Amino acid sequence: MLLNRDTSGRRWRIRPDGPGKVTGELEYLTDLSLPNMLIGRVLRSPHPHAYIRSVDVSKALALPGVHAALTAKDVPGLNRFGIARPDYPVFCEDRVRFIGDAVAAVAAESDELAELALAAIEVDYEPLPVVDDPERAILGDSPLLYEEGNVFHRNGYKFGDIEAGFAAAAHIVEETYSTPRQMHTYMETEGGLFVPGEDGRLTAYSPTQHGFMDRMQLSRILAKPEEDIRVVSSPIGGSFGGKDELNVQPYGALLALATGRPVKLHNSRWESVRAGLKRHPMKITMKTGVDAYGRLVAHRAYVIADKGPYSTLGAEVLNFATEHVVGPYRFKAVDVDTVSAFTNNGMSGEFRGFGGNQAIFALEGQLDRLAALLGMDPWELRRRNLRRAEDPGPLGQPISVTGGAGQVWASLEGSALWRRRSEPPASAPSAPWLKRGIGAAYVMHAAGLGVGIPDPAGGRLQLRGDGKIEAFFGYEEFGQGLIASLMQMLIEMFGFAERDIVITIGDTDVVPDSGSTTASRATSMMWQSLRRLRGPFAGKLLEAASRALALPAETLAIGEDGIRGAKDGRLLLSYAALAGAAGQPIAAQTHFSYPTSPVDRVGAHYMYSYSAVAVEVEVNTLTGRVHVVDQYHAVAAGPVVNPQGYLGQIEGGSSMALGFALTEDAVMSGGHYLTKNLDTYLVPTIVEQNGAVTVDAIEELPEGDEHGPRGLGELGSVGLAPAIAEAVYQATGKRASKLPIDPALLQEPIRFN
Amino acid sequence: MIERAPISADPSAKLNINVNGREAVLDVPPSKRLLHVLREDLGLTGTKRSCEMGRCGACMVLVDGKAVNSCLAMAYQCEGKSVTTIEGLSEGGLTPVQQCFLEEGGYQCGYCTPGMVVSVTAMLANDPSPSDADIEEALSGNLCRCTGYGGIWRAVKKAIELKKEQTG
Amino acid sequence: MAHSHEALLRSPYVWHPICAREAWHLKQEIDAGAVFVAGGTLLRTQWEAGLVTFPAHLIDLSGIADMTGIGRSDEDGRGWRIGALATLAECRSHPGLAADFPLVKEAARVIAAPAVRNLATIGGNVLSRTGDMATALLALDAELLWLNDAGTHSEPLSAWLDREREGISGAPGLLLAILPSAFLGVSMISKTRRFCAFHKAGRREAFIPPVVNVALNVAFDEGGAVADIRIAAGGGTMIPARLAAAEALTLGRVPDAALLAALHAAVNEEYAPKPDPFVGEAYRRMTAANLVAAALWKAGSDARASGEEGEPCC
Repeated sequence: MLLNRDTSGRRWRIRPDGPGKVTGELEYLTDLSLPNMLIGRVLRSPHPHAYIRSVDVSKALALPGVHAALTAKDVPGLNRFGIARPDYPVFCEDRVRFIGDAVAAVAAESDELAELALAAIEVDYEPLPVVDDPERAILGDSPLLYEEGNVFHRNGYKFGDIEAGFAAAAHIVEETYSTPRQMHTYMETEGGLFVPGEDGRLTAYSPTQHGFMDRMQLSRILAKPEEDIRVVSSPIGGSFGGKDELNVQPYGALLALATGRPVKLHNSRWESVRAGLKRHPMKITMKTGVDAYGRLVAHRAYVIADKGPYSTLGAEVLNFATEHVVGPYRFKAVDVDTVSAFTNNGMSGEFRGFGGNQAIFALEGQLDRLAALLGMDPWELRRRNLRRAEDPGPLGQPISVTGGAGQVWASLEGSALWRRRSEPPASAPSAPWLKRGIGAAYVMHAAGLGVGIPDPAGGRLQLRGDGKIEAFFGYEEFGQGLIASLMQMLIEMFGFAERDIVITIGDTDVVPDSGSTTASRATSMMWQSLRRLRGPFAGKLLEAASRALALPAETLAIGEDGIRGAKDGRLLLSYAALAGAAGQPIAAQTHFSYPTSPVDRVGAHYMYSYSAVAVEVEVNTLTGRVHVVDQYHAVAAGPVVNPQGYLGQIEGGSSMALGFALTEDAVMSGGHYLTKNLDTYLVPTIVEQNGAVTVDAIEELPEGDEHGPRGLGELGSVGLAPAIAEAVYQATGKRASKLPIDPALLQEPIRFN
Repeated sequence: MIERAPISADPSAKLNINVNGREAVLDVPPSKRLLHVLREDLGLTGTKRSCEMGRCGACMVLVDGKAVNSCLAMAYQCEGKSVTTIEGLSEGGLTPVQQCFLEEGGYQCGYCTPGMVVSVTAMLANDPSPSDADIEEALSGNLCRCTGYGGIWRAVKKAIELKKEQTG
Repeated sequence: MAHSHEALLRSPYVWHPICAREAWHLKQEIDAGAVFVAGGTLLRTQWEAGLVTFPAHLIDLSGIADMTGIGRSDEDGRGWRIGALATLAECRSHPGLAADFPLVKEAARVIAAPAVRNLATIGGNVLSRTGDMATALLALDAELLWLNDAGTHSEPLSAWLDREREGISGAPGLLLAILPSAFLGVSMISKTRRFCAFHKAGRREAFIPPVVNVALNVAFDEGGAVADIRIAAGGGTMIPARLAAAEALTLGRVPDAALLAALHAAVNEEYAPKPDPFVGEAYRRMTAANLVAAALWKAGSDARASGEEGEPCC
């Protein structure tokens, strides 16, 4: 189904959080303030790598209006954080390893005073050699970030006889691909308000992707029981993975407890760029062989990732890349070797696509190069190697069966955009230096955290005393439309009216732990939860109504505004009346885990979504600049829960891929950012995005499928970049293996005849 | 010799400003940015802080009817002027532009949305039937990271259509 | 970033002179601690980025009436005087100015974004030296009207930029106005047709400083040969310049393939960009050469297509 407002009909709904957003009434957590509040600021290292000889905050503390100046010795609990491995220092004790490292933090009566206090802190550094190249970092003669060495994590796998495969190949392509240090660039920078309570509790109003994870980590840092900490974490002005780890929370919490006053932090964009996560830059070398028919006979991949100084989810990202370098293709032999290296560069971490973007850019580049060598249509080459629905996953693991791979292949093959390749252009280009080309790419992308990683899910429904149906989930709204999707499911799966429903998320005091809002998992897990809750919760409502109305439960139905006659739909009992009659709360709760593959390989995934992307570009050979003219996305991710949200995820995700391909790179030199704000770090504007985007949402799943809607949040951010690279090749005959594409590569001296 | 005309640099000078139709006299430093005057002194947090160098448009407001990045404008530059924020635009209920953003899904996280709505409002006030090129130019200073601008395009087109229907 | 407590917490004095002489004298009196401010958009980015320290005194120019506006420069109503305080938005939308000097409008259209242009002034853009406006104005033989202790005087924009390029930096006074002049009235003379073009390449399609910009202002004679021409180019951190050798090459010649190839080579040779961490020098040279050659090709084609009764410009 081509997805748009018209084809969605009544399912195209206004988001419940929409009015507050278009009027500016919605208060983000960084909009909050309290009368007595202090402003917190963090002192960060000026050096990418140095020993700290001493830190002296006494002059800062002596300033009037400065209420706290904290360093490592003021951390009562664990002076570290990190979701997977807590190795990220809250405050560095004796060594800094990147320019975002925190050394001290202050709370003062104004931002100006706080800045002054930072300037008054005396830190004596002894600079160390800077490790800024991941490839050199893992050689024997590199300076070390850690005594154990600069290798952070390795992974790999192999099957088949790779050498025999290459020996039998008719064509072999060997290429090295590089991808940029992409910045999430959420419009709302990190921040929040931290409020100590009179009861000794602390409330952190601060965006995150998993409130309970923040609460656990803050508990560990503050040496304070989790129950004494409340994390309020939505709404959020964008995250994309970038607010998954703690950022300002440790400082806000420590300063609030130290001063006994509310403390607000809100990073400037400069500080956000300096300290925030980025996508892992990767260099991927692939050698891939095909036989004369086009069968993939051998595929070797070596991936090196620039980790920066601390773990974040870098190991998981590398594992994900390891899993995704083979894609939806059948290979005879595969040999994958991956490594993530510590450096003194910026902090890499989780980011929408999670290592898949880099891996798939390289893999799809190989397929296109091989097709050219074979003289074969690149889409036909993919067809000849495409996985079947029942095939195991990339690591040989059982995965949920869908026909997605074949479905998106066929959709793209039949699309008007792709068919245009073989037709003469409708009109001549407006100038002789403009060249057009069409390319396509394939994406098979996993969701969920994978084998061996706790991946809980669940939620709760409750009939409130006032007759509202309240849904409690521990997920976060950072723009993706989670609240809207939950609302739509409650309406469509239960029959409630929107006015019957109250949604509560993002507050650890009242919501259950539904796991994290990451890895394209939240909508799937809400759907699963409601499917599990439907029977029990509806049953309890009908049972109570049956008692109250003295009618058999089977004659009653859940409906808008209350319980209705099953046959005539007449309203018999409002929800408010039902709540009153029931006397006791009616509620149902579910708790389960994201489905995993029955293998013991850590990180292997079970649920996959598929997409195929075609794109037409126009290259201006005078300047080498590329403009995206038209996009077609075929997406197989199960039923469309929320049409507007689905479309928005694909359009928005592909915009990030467009930036990844053409303009975005957080450039570093010697461990320092050269791109410090949005004047030089360039996300796409509306001008880059004036082309058409068509989305074909393929909903069909095999009969008996129990998993329902698949992950969608990351899928759209992957395929456009390799498709652009191929379209550029078709336009100019030039292969771009490094992103963002360097215009100098595509530029040609103008010729006149 | 030139005559000495009144050159004023009175540090105790107050800022006289009309915000959303209401006169205000504020004791703020003359170089304080309008963004912070609005957010901190007036509690109008619909105007968002993001890049603070005029590159993203999240802090867009109308000054005497024209779109201005409030992170660039200093208090003294607004002396005697009328500022309209997103709150001011919304005072009489949703405007047609806001209604179109709502219906077409021209937002996701919503953080860029107030600035985007302000820029679209300024554009349509200046020209009720802008071309695609005009729209691109008018919104080129408003970054959105979530939508890929798809919903924004649809919302703007719809708003133009509505305007045509109303006047046509 | 060593701030004294006092400096940090003290708000700068903001002076509001109402005539240019006062402003100039104020600057002399306070000297190094004072900065002229018009729109303030560029200064703000420099302050925020920590490139320049926040000054103790701001001299607000906005109250100086005779530095504002765009109007006719002489009594017979031919020339134009663009006040230094004219906003880029005014330059973008002024119909009369656009009719005579469309290059000003075209340059304004691609500088920053509309909201920035509502604050930013043409004077500020020119004085930044590396904005798009200086390149466009070079192709218009613009004069700068300065005020200093010696009174007011004008000089060609190119003369000031030449000094800047040689490192004799600093404005020789307060910039009051800008007066473009090239080909004034030429467009209306029959059988001579004037064309102009402004092209810019950046690291993004919109809201981006120029990596390369070029401005072309050319008149063809009735035979289609170049009768008079201005070519200017800038971009990055280089100070824009006229490309005199390239211009000379084209005079009296019809822009055919041979001339365009020669022009391409000449621009590539003469254009003197500076590389930065994002874009190399070779790319900048070829971009400038391509854009200039393409612009003259287009102008030549349009001139032929327009015939004798054709549209006079752009």
